Amino acid sequence: MTRAIELESLTVRAGGRELLGPLDLAVERGEHVLVVGPSGSGKTTLLRAICGLARPHSGRVLLFGERVSDGPRLLVPPAGRGVGMLFQGGALWPHMSVRRTLEFVLARAGTPRAEHRRRTGELLELVHLEGFEDRLPSTLSGGEAQRLALARALAPHPRLLLLDEPLGPLDSELRASLLARLAEVQRSLELTVLHVTHDPGEANSLADRTLVMAEGAFVAGEERKA
Amino acid sequence: MSRPLVIAAAAIFALVCLAPVAVMAARVGVGDFEGLLAGRTLDLLGRTVRLGLGAAAVAVVLGFPYGFLVARTDMPLAGVLRPLGLVPFLLPPLFLAITWTAVSDVRGATASVWVLGANTFPLVALFTARAFERIDARREEAALLVGGLGAALRMELPLVLPGAACGACLAFVFAVNDFAVPDYVSSVGPKFNVYADEVFASWQGDGEAGRAVATALPLVLLTLALLLPALALRRRGALATVDGDFRTPAPLALGRLRWPALVFCGLVLVLCAGLPLTRLAWEAGGGTRGWSVDGFRSALSRTLDLERTFLANSLVTSAVAASLCAPLALVLGHALERSRRGRRLEVLAVLPIAVPAILFGIGNIALWNRDVAFMAAIYDGRAMIVLLFIGRFLVFPLLITSGAVASLDPRLEEAAELAGARPATRLARIVAPGVRPSLVGGWTLVFVLAMRELDAAILVPAANGTVIFKAFNRIHFARDDAVAALCLLIVFFIVLPGLLWSLFGRRRLEVIA
Repeated sequence: MTRAIELESLTVRAGGRELLGPLDLAVERGEHVLVVGPSGSGKTTLLRAICGLARPHSGRVLLFGERVSDGPRLLVPPAGRGVGMLFQGGALWPHMSVRRTLEFVLARAGTPRAEHRRRTGELLELVHLEGFEDRLPSTLSGGEAQRLALARALAPHPRLLLLDEPLGPLDSELRASLLARLAEVQRSLELTVLHVTHDPGEANSLADRTLVMAEGAFVAGEERKA
Repeated sequence: MSRPLVIAAAAIFALVCLAPVAVMAARVGVGDFEGLLAGRTLDLLGRTVRLGLGAAAVAVVLGFPYGFLVARTDMPLAGVLRPLGLVPFLLPPLFLAITWTAVSDVRGATASVWVLGANTFPLVALFTARAFERIDARREEAALLVGGLGAALRMELPLVLPGAACGACLAFVFAVNDFAVPDYVSSVGPKFNVYADEVFASWQGDGEAGRAVATALPLVLLTLALLLPALALRRRGALATVDGDFRTPAPLALGRLRWPALVFCGLVLVLCAGLPLTRLAWEAGGGTRGWSVDGFRSALSRTLDLERTFLANSLVTSAVAASLCAPLALVLGHALERSRRGRRLEVLAVLPIAVPAILFGIGNIALWNRDVAFMAAIYDGRAMIVLLFIGRFLVFPLLITSGAVASLDPRLEEAAELAGARPATRLARIVAPGVRPSLVGGWTLVFVLAMRELDAAILVPAANGTVIFKAFNRIHFARDDAVAALCLLIVFFIVLPGLLWSLFGRRRLEVIA
């Protein structure tokens, strides 16, 4: 069976400076890989290159066996890669209520309008946000906002979930609750997860593997589970 | 970014904003530069620059403390005085000139400098207020802990001066472009002719533009030299809001200075808006013949009946121009901010306001006044006025919107892109709602500037039908209750959109970003 992610000599440059790579990485389907490293080590750039928001300078990105970028050419646009991303800080749309946020994504994903309500309900149930449909992001707590961001990332039925510091602004109690939710979601939806964080302790219990990143390269890797 | 949308908007920008400038530049011959160093030309430029610098200095003296007091202190009525501080900028400067020369003996350069400084001080106040608001509470508290209010102000001064300087640069630009004030002041006292009214006179005399353009070149370069740093300062201010960890500072306690501060701000408002408006109301109600409420009411109602067509013409053309500017500003402002080379193109964006307004008007005449049926139809109709307004003022909503886009987290758009939203959808559904106060602020600014526009429109025949043009003519040929009533009606309609937003809008208008 093909792998979920394959990176071959991937590099990303900006302003003449190499931000990432050359990197090689293989992630199996259903695997939860944790990438840890200090701020500025290239973790977010790695996620952005995988989902197509950052244009690679060279190398290849393959997702589920399909070549999605080859050198600087984006062969598949970000929305067509089957990737959901939980952005650092949530990046929620401040003017859209919880329901409108999810319906906006569902409409783009081609979900028939008649199914929006049902699907929104399912997503909110999945992240335990039932009853929050008409709330604006500014009225949500940190944990609720992150769960909405997770629901948004899951709305288009992604096969691969990219998590960019998902627990950053949360206290320890909320972290534990969101991690439990993530584990549940990953299991039920059989998702592959690539999770980046600066905190080596974060999500250690969930990860199958931990990779350490520094200055745009993997400097160490550790198999955690059998 | 939606490439077809950006290309279409850029093509409109090139035609309406840049082509009039290009047409004028093409008319300049080598011989036209011969008079550039002549004593008379240098005198003219010197006077114009003195006018701009003087007005900017007045604007700073009034606007800097005003902006600080209304934005950051516990001065009584600060919340009310802040929006009221914009009113002087909404008044056509010509109205300030006719009232100030009526109530005082000040004439010549001093009168022009004072009137244009009083008119543009809100720009400095606005930028200063915004700069003070962007200082994080923790930074201020750290300074307060070590040395009280004095230390806090010393720490904050370098952070807010760039904002105030940006406002001062804009005040300079508005002052050197103004035609009506020096023209009127010269008509009631010693002549103080500046570049704009000299071009007006020579164009009416010989219709030759090449020399006028060549003569304007130093002024254009000087304006650009002031505008470009102002843009950079504006951008730095906009980026200061990106920090997500920002904590709003608490109002600084003025102690015993609270009431003197209120007196200062009140006095500034009285001098720059209250006195001119009161004088107009007094003249409209009978003036020296004896003021009465009935006389005032009758003058307003007669004038409204008589000038209804002109008022409607101005309202429609200004509103249409402002409404067309909003989507153009959204598309181009977004492209300017998000594209890699956008910032380099800002110099093109500001070109229409760097060129003296009167030359921009002549450029429009040269561009559209041709023996081609559809162009003649445009030139003779209301469309010409709308094009002129868009060409002259699109830069403001464009810069306001691009500043607002700069403070909008790009991840919001990326999340929508990842969800499959097309560029146009992202622009309409994610970016536009995020920058809505700036779009409405841009709309209001274009509407206000268009309603009071004389400087570029004075030579364009189609603009003869605007109400401000009508007022300009009537002011020069008669001063009676009807003229004062007309001025008051114009002010009322200029202030109306901002007033409605203040009453019903839930968020503050963003006229800077």
